[in-house]
Amino acid sequence: MSVEKRERAQLSRRDMLRASGVLAAGGLLAACAAPQATTQAPTEEAATEAATESATQAAATSEATTEAPTQAAAAEGHVVIMRNVGELTDDMVAQFQADHSTITVEALDVDLTRLIAMYAAGNPPDLVRVQAPSVPQYLARDMLYDLTPYFEASTLVKLDDLAPSNDYYKANSPLEVGSGPIYGMTKDWSPDFTIFVYKKPFEDKSLDVPSDTEPMTYDQVRELGAKLATFEGDRTVLFGFDYDAAWIDRMWSNHLLETDNHLYSDDFTQIQLTASDEARKVVQFYFDMAKDKVGASPINPSPNWVGDDFDKGLVGLLNYGYWFGAMAETDVTKGQVIMIPGPTWAGVRRDPTITATGMIMTKATKVPDAAWVLFEWFNGGQPADDRAASGWGVPALKSQYDKMPNSTDFDKQRRTVLQGELDLATAPLQFNPYHGETTVADAWQQYAEQALNGQMSFDDMLANIEQDVNTAIQDGKDAIGS
Amino acid sequence: MISAKPQLRGASPPITRAKQSARSQRRQRTFYLFISPWLLGFIFLSVIPMVVGFLISLTNYDGLNLNKLAFVGMRNYGTVFKDPSAQYGFSRTLIWAAINLPLWLAVSLLIALLVNVKLKGNGIFRTLLYLPAVIPPVALVWTWKILLEQNFGLVNGVLSLVRPGTAVPWLSTYAMLGLTSIALWNGLGFGMIVFLAGLQDIPQELIDAARVDGAGNFQVFFRVILPLISPIIFFQLILGLISALQQFVLPMLAATSASTKIPARSVYLYMVHVYRTLFGTGRFGQGMAMLWLLIVVIGVLTVIVFWTQRFWVYSEVRGEE
Repeated sequence: MSVEKRERAQLSRRDMLRASGVLAAGGLLAACAAPQATTQAPTEEAATEAATESATQAAATSEATTEAPTQAAAAEGHVVIMRNVGELTDDMVAQFQADHSTITVEALDVDLTRLIAMYAAGNPPDLVRVQAPSVPQYLARDMLYDLTPYFEASTLVKLDDLAPSNDYYKANSPLEVGSGPIYGMTKDWSPDFTIFVYKKPFEDKSLDVPSDTEPMTYDQVRELGAKLATFEGDRTVLFGFDYDAAWIDRMWSNHLLETDNHLYSDDFTQIQLTASDEARKVVQFYFDMAKDKVGASPINPSPNWVGDDFDKGLVGLLNYGYWFGAMAETDVTKGQVIMIPGPTWAGVRRDPTITATGMIMTKATKVPDAAWVLFEWFNGGQPADDRAASGWGVPALKSQYDKMPNSTDFDKQRRTVLQGELDLATAPLQFNPYHGETTVADAWQQYAEQALNGQMSFDDMLANIEQDVNTAIQDGKDAIGS
Repeated sequence: MISAKPQLRGASPPITRAKQSARSQRRQRTFYLFISPWLLGFIFLSVIPMVVGFLISLTNYDGLNLNKLAFVGMRNYGTVFKDPSAQYGFSRTLIWAAINLPLWLAVSLLIALLVNVKLKGNGIFRTLLYLPAVIPPVALVWTWKILLEQNFGLVNGVLSLVRPGTAVPWLSTYAMLGLTSIALWNGLGFGMIVFLAGLQDIPQELIDAARVDGAGNFQVFFRVILPLISPIIFFQLILGLISALQQFVLPMLAATSASTKIPARSVYLYMVHVYRTLFGTGRFGQGMAMLWLLIVVIGVLTVIVFWTQRFWVYSEVRGEE
């Protein structure tokens, strides 16, 4: 090779940068091309189809691709599970692997960002811990594995033994949750509208402790909360009535169902706050409580989780399900706590779970049999027995109800109240498949603060919440092509 | 045969050119070897994510809808301009920057001037003042939350000694004020150290000459010190501006309640809305569009600040010209 040619063959700095750019762009284009090649642009007809139809197709596809389960003993493979480490510890995983030598388990902490990254990489986990609102969302995105054949063949988790909370994992479509193919199950649950009462402030203020047999109305709760709330000047030293603000839309939904009203339009494309008198009443109730500083609110926030505040003796009445009883008695509150029935909004009592935390199998799993063995063991085997006995929730299997703790006075008291609530927990809430779990609560938090500070009227607050949520719904619909 | 070819006048002998070429190759290899860690990091951790982010901004991606992914063109960018929360967040961010940036620059410079005085034990003060900069943000914010909490915080506790029952909502209604205190305290160390380096670089004879000419403290500061550290102010201004427009950590950690992850409305900054758009509502396309628009805004503001330097930044090179 001549000197001139050798010189020309050298890579200049500029050439190298150019080549790097081309390589990077090429890689990106290749990465982007893969999903595009398999994505069909939605036709006009398809775009106008109802979400129900697309979801029904998804369900049908799911059914078609679900093969009959093989014998659990024959299952083998590597199962990736996204779990809460407090619920499925590394020791439990080791125990499972020791008992099932053909299955290896990789346990990851539950993390939505990581789940998204794993999906983007085409390698999602096989099992994922979820809450009820995720089920219609994931179903609308065709992400769930139909487990019906596995349940039908199971001796540990039988379909007729499933507690009502598991209805959240049954769906004919994202808009028809409650019956149909089953895509997962709860690990445990609670009727979530019961109230925990810290009795000491009642004694301090010479107020009658509420009955644990007769349910109150929400108006009575608010009135009592206002009497309990204690102030020193502008400082709040005891919150009268508190609840988990992240679930405020679930509470609104449940109240509205008592009057046969709904938070969303029938097709779930609109949240209905401004046009519905009943919805306005419900929101006004929570707005007035915040204004009167009955509990923590956007203008009187607590730095702690409401459960921590209760445990520190800073809350008189706290809305939480049976599960909270496992941690309601502390050194401060010991012997001073009772659980009372869920209040009623309009005289028609409802007490469903509003979280239904559980597990689903992803449709992309390559090892459904092995994943099912882990799923079945966690939800119907020794871990489920242990959870039932711990008192951290009502078991997901009715046959395990009698394993709930019943040794202390408080255990007995809350279990007695629970018995009355279980029958009220049959009808699940229908979550909106088009927006995120906290979209409504986030919007409430933002605009309520402005309205409570007088920077916005109540009507404007409602309109702003409605606009935020409806925009999110529209974007969600676009994202899933319905 | 090379030796048989006629040589041009002045051209290097072939053997010398070959040697030069080999040396040049070695130098190039060394150059690429040394810059390759940075270059690879830059390509894979900056360029590619930014390009991917831009591509995502042109789609309806929601994190989990790969099988329904569709190209939407510039629609997400249009949506950002129509989004009231994005507009509100951007306006709050500008207010945040307008309050925080001058305050941080002024206080940092003031502290730097104080610790630049040659006094015994000055090093201890410099160390103490720099300490907040090395505290991890989460620990820092929790410490401040204990101080500023509305009902049980120490600051309101102390104020209650004067006016019983004081409960100023430092982290909700007055969060802009509360968070500014935290940001200032946290950023003071870095700002002070950089200014101090600039101050110590000023030749003492210039200050002495000014004093001989009858200049007082204020004249020395405004006529000598300030012009000489103006390049440092310029540097801090650029860094501070970018940092202020990207502020996210403080509102998310300090001004949110335990139940909801939405900060108080007064500190609902642009990046908070980006985060909520991405992870609260799963609108990745729109979120990425918002990030790209922020990059453009930061770029434009940086160019403007660079353009203004000719009016107020002292340059020895230009001075010599």
